Amino acid sequence: MTIDRARFDQGLTYEAYKAQMTRNRERVEDNEQRIELGKEDVAAFRALPRPVKVLVLAEDWCGDVIANLPVLGRLAKDSGKLDVRIFLRDQNDDIMQRYLNKGQFKSIPVFVFFDEDFRELGHWIERPASVTEIRAKRRNEIFKTHPEFGSPDSPVDALPEEVRVRLQAELAKMREDTTKFANAEVVRELREIATRVAA
Amino acid sequence: MTAAHKVKITYCAECGYEPQTLDLARALMHEFGARLSSIELIPWEGGTFEVSVDGQLVHSMARNGGFPDHATIKDAVRARFSG
Repeated sequence: MTIDRARFDQGLTYEAYKAQMTRNRERVEDNEQRIELGKEDVAAFRALPRPVKVLVLAEDWCGDVIANLPVLGRLAKDSGKLDVRIFLRDQNDDIMQRYLNKGQFKSIPVFVFFDEDFRELGHWIERPASVTEIRAKRRNEIFKTHPEFGSPDSPVDALPEEVRVRLQAELAKMREDTTKFANAEVVRELREIATRVAA
Repeated sequence: MTAAHKVKITYCAECGYEPQTLDLARALMHEFGARLSSIELIPWEGGTFEVSVDGQLVHSMARNGGFPDHATIKDAVRARFSG
């Protein structure tokens, strides 16, 4: 299976993708508004010698898509240099099979960057490792600070409901507190791939 | 006195695991009826799908991978009835 212009053009534009969303469009658009892009980052994308094509695998229900697709959407909008086409993962398994996370998992979003001749520049899957790492660390700290939450590896259903609700609030706050870092890491990694395009 | 047997299903709400959660809950309702004292559905996060019977974890997506076979969960419930 190769990606060529004909296949790429079958994908949805970012706006068309959002228009067909039935579940989390509001969250995607809210994230899109809240992302703060650095001037230097936008300038780096604007300075790309030619537009870069970005094939995306996504689904409406996925939390990492809700968090990270809007970063790509904003980079495309603010730079005018990314031509984004989105494919629904579960309807495009041939593409998914080519970009499995660690060769086994159908993690999304997947962003595949191509030059104008559809030579792959690189691809990006799910979320930055640095984000997974910092959130795992913060999560462990929450459990250390709150012994009433039990062990981070224990099933949450064993917790009394009011404790569970407090844990949920702490985890939500931790995600919120790390969002700025997470977005910056996504931008940094996407910039590194996109700027591989030859001058 | 008959012991009360409870099933809890913790599912990742943002991942869209509601269909699998409801399918399993429905299967347990049909199989066991009023012999289960409750089936609790707990919306959670982080890709979770866990099933416990009377406080014992019988399936975890993180531990076992994927969604459970309904038969496995039913067997775990039956084991509690006879235990």
